[in-house]
Amino acid sequence: MSAPASPSGARRRALLFWAFFAIGTVVLALAPLALNNYWLRVLTTVFMYATVTQGLNVIVGLTGYHAFGNAVFFGFGAYASGVAMTLGAPFPVALVAAVAFSALVAGIVGWPILRLRGHYFAIATVALNLAAIQLVIQVGGVTGGAEGLPLPLSDLPPGPLYRAIYLVMLAGMVVSTLLVAFILTRPFGYALRAIRDGERAAGVMGIDTTATKVAAWAISAGITGFAGGVWAYWITFIEPASAFDPAIGVKAYMMLILGGMGTVIGPVLGAFVLEFLSTLVWGGFLQAHQIVFGVLIVVICLVAPNGMLVAGRSLIQRWRSRHGAA
Amino acid sequence: MLWQATANGLLLGGLYGIATIGFSMVWGVMGVINLAHTGFIMLGAYITYGLFRFAGLDPIASIPVSMIAMFALGYALQVLVLNRIIRTSLLLSLVVTFGIELVMVDAVSIAFTSDVRSVNSSYAASSIEVFGILVPVVRLIAAGFSVTLGIAFFAFLRFTRAGQMILATALDREVSSLMGINPERIYALTAGAGAALAGATGSLASMLFPVMPGMGVTFLSAVFVITVLGGIGSVEGCIVAGFIYGLVQAWAGYFLGANYQEIVGFGLFLLVLALRPQGLFGRAFFGEHA
Repeated sequence: MSAPASPSGARRRALLFWAFFAIGTVVLALAPLALNNYWLRVLTTVFMYATVTQGLNVIVGLTGYHAFGNAVFFGFGAYASGVAMTLGAPFPVALVAAVAFSALVAGIVGWPILRLRGHYFAIATVALNLAAIQLVIQVGGVTGGAEGLPLPLSDLPPGPLYRAIYLVMLAGMVVSTLLVAFILTRPFGYALRAIRDGERAAGVMGIDTTATKVAAWAISAGITGFAGGVWAYWITFIEPASAFDPAIGVKAYMMLILGGMGTVIGPVLGAFVLEFLSTLVWGGFLQAHQIVFGVLIVVICLVAPNGMLVAGRSLIQRWRSRHGAA
Repeated sequence: MLWQATANGLLLGGLYGIATIGFSMVWGVMGVINLAHTGFIMLGAYITYGLFRFAGLDPIASIPVSMIAMFALGYALQVLVLNRIIRTSLLLSLVVTFGIELVMVDAVSIAFTSDVRSVNSSYAASSIEVFGILVPVVRLIAAGFSVTLGIAFFAFLRFTRAGQMILATALDREVSSLMGINPERIYALTAGAGAALAGATGSLASMLFPVMPGMGVTFLSAVFVITVLGGIGSVEGCIVAGFIYGLVQAWAGYFLGANYQEIVGFGLFLLVLALRPQGLFGRAFFGEHA
């Protein structure tokens, strides 16, 4: 662990990482051939949360703005795609609508809200989430209001349809991860991290902080809205309370903490670990799964507040120093 | 009718104020946004319901019981969980308190089922008429107790040694440690006091609203808006902002319809954040730097 990575070592490690990433993607893309419906559904859910978490990563991990109510864009994405499909748009067009509408909302709401710092921003996003539920109920009409919105059913039989949705969710996870990796190499990515580590200093360096933050939130919202749009088609019936469920955002937040904020692959790892854990919990404690999930949240925050990779590394280091390696 | 709506708004506003004081103090003193606060309100209501249903105790007589129980719970959670979280990252407290809230709501759902319960005291139906406005007695009692408790807590902060220590820690954690104050003990005391006030809110709310596991969350938007409007960590701000919020809600319901109340509340919230982010009575407390 002590050897500092030489430039060529770092490059080799990056190459290895992307090789694993590519192999993993291919394996997951071929997996539906072998999986039964149960595991297909579990994995689709994992990909969905990984995408939402990657969206959260852009604003929380990279930019340092704790958008606690980011699930609001999941709901906007779901409703945008639901309304578009009700009006007769095909699924791909509805997905574009979901991404565009969510990004647009973030762009508009972001101008006033992203001027707030720390806790103020966090609770403003929570309030936004709560208000969105009421808003959809009020708008009624084409959104179905409080009664919910049934989406038009697909012509595909259930088997191929669920496999197609699996692949679209997988694509969402892979593309959003690649997008985060790409952003990190661009000046825009450096600007985001500069804002996270010292906003005033970033402004002094000539970064238009407000525009950069709004752009980051729009990207975050677009990614989250994509997941919401696919989810709406998958679930075929959406209502305000389920589409804008704040628990979606909190779960993504936990996955982000667990995987490691601001990292490329962290959100994906966090989603896999936490979703599999909660699937097990769901099966084992039908009555008390909320209690177990709540306790899990508290334990993760106490034991691994900087992510499981950091927690694991420090555990290994402690073990090594205790057992006197070298 | 407008006067009736105004009276109703003011009466509810008192309860909103007391619902917020604990949340606002915890935020102001230690920078923690306690999403479990609404869980304390819900538990307080269930304690009153339980004592009323199974022991025949008057709802008002059960206020001290729920205050003491919630103080103990708030104190324990702070010592066992939140003080450790604060050492790593303040913003993690949002996630952790959400988890605690989940546990509370689910535990109550399992113990009492999600059925809607109610506390009907002997004076529940009676009301008095003042200048043609009907004032339900329970609402008057709730508002009166709320304001009294708010004033009592204000006096506790100003005139007792423990209260002064809380204010000192809120103003400057480092310097208060130099004065021999143990911040983590003060945090636990603040969290306990905040939870106790939430418990009292729950007891009072059980007389006005149906008692169910999700009842606490219905206070969440009000608590956010009033905290920011009153100024974080300001007791007097909470009481005044509580009345303002109650009035705005009542008038929004009267002029626009009941469905617009939440949206108007959110609009008020954004307006305050944009125009006067420190709130009506806000000061530079520790929580503001977080």
